[in-house]
Amino acid sequence: MPDLTLTKVAKSFGDNTVLHELDLHVRDGELFTLLGPSGCGKSTTLWSIAGLHSPDGGMIAFGDRVVFDGGKVDLPPERRNCGVVFQSYAVWPHLTVHDNVAYPLKLRKVGRRERAARVHEVLELVELDHLAGRHPHELSGGQQQRVALARALAHPPDLLLLDEPFSNLDAKLRERARLWLRRLQQRIGVTTVFVTHDQDEALSMSDRIVVMDQGRVRQIGTPEEIYQQPADLFVADFVGTVNVLGGRVVPGRDGVAHISLDGLGDPIAVPAVPGAADEVRLAVRPEQIVVHPTGVAGPGAVNVVTTQVLSQAFLGDHYRYVVGLGTAELVVRTAAPVDHDAELTLELPPAAFRVFPAG
Amino acid sequence: MTLTTAPVPGSTAPGTGPAGRPGRSSARTTASHYLIWVVTLVLVVGPVVPIVLASLWSTPLYRSGGHVTLDNYRDLLTDPAWWGAVGNSLAFAGLTTVLSVLFGVGAAVLLTRTNIPWRRLFAGVLVLPVVLPGLVLIVGWMAMWAPSGFVSSWLTVNTVLAFPIDLYTMPGMALVATSVAAPVVFLFCRTTVLAVDSSLEDAARSAGAGPLRALVSVTVPLLRPAVLNSALLVFAVSFEVLGLPLILGFSNDITLVSTYLYDNWINASPPRQGLVSAGAVFLLACVSGLLVVRNRLVGDAARYTTVTGKATAKRVVDLGPAGWPLAALVAAVLGVLVVVPLVGVVMTAFTTILTPLIAPWSVLTMENFGAVFANPIWVESIRNSLLIATVGGLLTTLAIAVVSVVAHRSDFRFRGSLQQAVLWPRMMPGLVTGMAFFWAFAILDPGGALRSSLWALGLAFAVRSLALGYGVFYPALAAIGQDLDRAARTSGATWWQATVTVSLRLTAPAMGACFVLLFVSMLNDADPAVFLVTDRTPVMGLTMLQLAATSTGGAVAAFGVVQMLITVVVLGAGRLFLGVRAHA
Ligand SMILES: Nc1ncnc2c1ncn2[C@@H]1O[C@H](COP(=O)(O)OP(=O)(O)OP(=O)(O)O)[C@@H](O)[C@H]1O
Ligand SMILES: [Mg+2]
Repeated sequence: MPDLTLTKVAKSFGDNTVLHELDLHVRDGELFTLLGPSGCGKSTTLWSIAGLHSPDGGMIAFGDRVVFDGGKVDLPPERRNCGVVFQSYAVWPHLTVHDNVAYPLKLRKVGRRERAARVHEVLELVELDHLAGRHPHELSGGQQQRVALARALAHPPDLLLLDEPFSNLDAKLRERARLWLRRLQQRIGVTTVFVTHDQDEALSMSDRIVVMDQGRVRQIGTPEEIYQQPADLFVADFVGTVNVLGGRVVPGRDGVAHISLDGLGDPIAVPAVPGAADEVRLAVRPEQIVVHPTGVAGPGAVNVVTTQVLSQAFLGDHYRYVVGLGTAELVVRTAAPVDHDAELTLELPPAAFRVFPAG
Repeated sequence: MTLTTAPVPGSTAPGTGPAGRPGRSSARTTASHYLIWVVTLVLVVGPVVPIVLASLWSTPLYRSGGHVTLDNYRDLLTDPAWWGAVGNSLAFAGLTTVLSVLFGVGAAVLLTRTNIPWRRLFAGVLVLPVVLPGLVLIVGWMAMWAPSGFVSSWLTVNTVLAFPIDLYTMPGMALVATSVAAPVVFLFCRTTVLAVDSSLEDAARSAGAGPLRALVSVTVPLLRPAVLNSALLVFAVSFEVLGLPLILGFSNDITLVSTYLYDNWINASPPRQGLVSAGAVFLLACVSGLLVVRNRLVGDAARYTTVTGKATAKRVVDLGPAGWPLAALVAAVLGVLVVVPLVGVVMTAFTTILTPLIAPWSVLTMENFGAVFANPIWVESIRNSLLIATVGGLLTTLAIAVVSVVAHRSDFRFRGSLQQAVLWPRMMPGLVTGMAFFWAFAILDPGGALRSSLWALGLAFAVRSLALGYGVFYPALAAIGQDLDRAARTSGATWWQATVTVSLRLTAPAMGACFVLLFVSMLNDADPAVFLVTDRTPVMGLTMLQLAATSTGGAVAAFGVVQMLITVVVLGAGRLFLGVRAHA
C-alpha cells in the first residue's frame, strides 16, 4: 500500500477559496481522518485525491506515483485506482449486489472464475455474501453502505476514501459500523482517508486526525494528541467539551505563571504561558476538574476554589454541574451525585489547563 | 497484510499501464466531446446561416447577382399584417400554454401519485393526442364540435345544451391546440413525479403535513423545471404551428405568424422569400431571449436532483371519497377533448356522409379506404414516413442521449452551449427549419442528390425533434444522482464506460419514451416538409395537411385512420417496452 502526499493543494470555486495550500501526509496503512465543521473543505479534499475534480494547484502523489501536479499531470479518476464510498452510497440500482461488486473487476478484465471468487471473498468480508443476488432496493441502508464498501475494496484499491459513510445510519448502527470498519481496515491494512464531522467517530476510529477549518489545517495528530493537547482554541472547542475562561497574566510570582480571572480573588496557577501575551484564554476539560464532595481538598492541592452551583443535570453515565467561577461559568462532571449546599469545592490542577493567547 | 489485499491476478489499474502515455484515454474522451459538439452545432446552428444570408440579400440565394440590403426587414416591420400575425400568435400561444399547463400538471399529479379510479386508462387516453397525428385530431374536432359538427348540432337540436365555443375563433383554436399540448406537459411532469424520492414527502409528512399537502408542497414545486421546460416548448410549438391555423383560421381570416410566412412564400407571386427569411430571423432573436429567461428561472439543475444512490419504494396518496367525483370530472374533460373527436374521425372514415339527421349505420362504407390505397402518392407517403420515423427516430434518440450526457455529465468546456443547442431548434417554426435546410441544400448541394433523398427530410425532422426528445430524456437524466457516475469513474471506468453502463443504462426507459415520441412526431410531421418535399419523397404529414386544407370528407378521414392505426401499433409496442423498468 502506498502512502499519500498532498503538497500545497489549493482549490477555489469562483472567488470562494475552499482549500488554502493544503499539506497532508497519510502514512502507509493508516486510517487518517479529515475532521472539521460542515463546509470546511473535507469532501473537496477527498474529491481532489480521487480525481473527481482538479485542484487549482499543488501536487498529489500516491507513494511515488504523482497523480496530480499543477497543470502538468492530472490523472482521471479511473486511473488513480482508489476505492471511494460516497455519502449517498451510490450503489447502482440496476445491478445486483454481486454485479455492483464485480463491476470494477470487469473493467480490469479479470477472468470470470477469479472474478466470482474475489466478489465472494469481498462480500464475505462485509458479511453480505448471502445477499449477493439481491437488488439494492431490497437492502437496508446499512447493507447498501456495506455494498458500497465492498465495491470500493474489490479491485483492490491503493487507497480507500470514505466520505461520511455512516451519516445515514442511526446512532446504534453507526457505533457498530465504526468498530466493524476499523477492524476491517486494520485487517486489510489499506491506507484509508476518512471524512467526518463527528468528533466521536474521528476519535474512536483514527490512527491520526487532521482538524480542518475553512480550508486550512488546524492540527494533525493522534486522537490523544488532538484531545489532550489541542493546538488552538478552535481544536479544543471542536473536539470534545471544553471550558474557556478569559484572564490576564499576573507577573512574577513563584516562577509559575498565574492568571487572574474576572471576579475571582486569587489568581490561578497554570503551566508556562506561551510568548509574551498579556490577555490569555484558558481551556480546561470538565472531566479534569476535581470535585471534592466533602468540601476539603487534600494536602498540597493548588487552585482550590469554592463555587456556586447554578444548575445540575443527570446524563445517564455522569452528573453535570454548571458552577459560577468569578464572573464566568464552568462545567464540571462527576460520576456520583454530590450532596451540596448550593456550593461545590473544586480543585483545578494546573496541568489540566491549556493556555492560549487571546484573540 | 492478509490475503484480501493480494492483488487479483491481472488486475492492474486501468491507468497504471505503461508509463509515458498519461491521460491518453481522457484525451480521447475530450476529442470525442469536441466532435459531438461540432456536429451538433453544424446541424443545429449551421442551417440558420443561410437564412440570415437570405434575409440580407436582395435576390434568392440560388440565383446569381443581388446585393446586401435591409429592405426585407423594412418591408416586414412596416407590414401591419405581420404585426397582426405576431399579436395573434402571442395570444394563441399564451392561451394554449396556460390551459395546457393547468391540465397537464394537474393530470401528472392526479394520475401518477393518487389512487384516483381508472388512472391508467385516463393516462392512456390523455396521451393519445400527442402521439396521434395532430391533423387527424383536428379533422375529428371539425367533424364533431364545429358549429355544424355532428355532436354540436345534435346537442342544439335535441337538448338545451350547446357547445359554448366556436372552433373557428381564437379560443376555439386554443382549445383544440390544448388537447394536443396538455399531454406534452403531462409527459414531462410525469417523468419527474415518478423520479421524486418519496422520502422527501415523508419528510414533509413527518413535519405534520397530510399526505395530500405533502404531495402538493413537496412534489409540485420540484416539478418547476419540468413545467418550465414543457411550457416553453408548448409556447414555441403553438407559436409555430401551421396546420391548425391553416385549417381552422381560414374561415375567419385569423392569420398567425406561420400562416403569414406560408402565404408569403407559397401563395404570393412572386414569392417574397427575402421577407419570409427576415421574419424567421426576427423570430430567432425573440426565441433566444426566451431561452435566457428560461435559464434564469430554472436555475441550477443540480438542485432538482432527487434520486440518489439510495433506493426507496414509491407510494400513492389516498383520495378517499373525493376520488369518484374527481374521476367523473377527468372523464368528462377527456371525453370532450379526446374521445369525441377521435370517434368523429372514425365515423367520418366509415360513412359516406355524417350528420345527426341520418343514422350513421345506414350509410356505412369502405369506399374511403379503397380510395386511399388506390392512390400511389398516398401509399408511397406512408412508406416514406415509416422509414423516416423508424431510422430517424432511433438515430435521433441516440443522438439526444449522447448529447445530453455530454452537456450535463461531463467536464467538457462548452457543455453549456450544447444544452442551448438542443433546445433551440424547437423554437424555430417547422417552416423555418424546412426553409433553413432548403437554403443550406441550395448552397451546399446544388446537384440536389441529397435534397431529393429521404435523408434531407429525415435530417430536418430530426433536428426539429431534438428539443421534444430532450425534454423527455433530460428530466430522467437529471433525476439520476451524479454520485452514481462518480462511483463508476472511481471504480476504474472511463467517462464513456461510466456513461454507457450507468447513466445511459439507468435512463433506458426514458430513451424508450423518447423514441416513441420521436417516431410519432417524425411519422406525422409536416411543416418542414413544405419546402423540402419533392415528387419522389412525399410524406404522410404533408399529404394530410394538403388534403385537410383543401377538402374534407371520407377519404381524408380514412387516410387519418390509417395514420392513427400505424401510430397505435407502435404505441402498443412502446407500452410494452416502457413497461420494462430499471430496478429503481
Ligand atoms: N461545486 C461547487 N461549486 C461551488 N462551491 C462549492 C462546490 N462544492 C463545494 N463548494 C463549496 O466549498 C466549500 C467546501 O465544501 P465541501 O463539500 O468540501 O465541504 P465539507 O467539508 O465536505 O462539508 P460537509 O461536512 O457539509 O460535507 C463549501 O463552502 C461549499 O459551499
Ligand atoms: Mg462533505
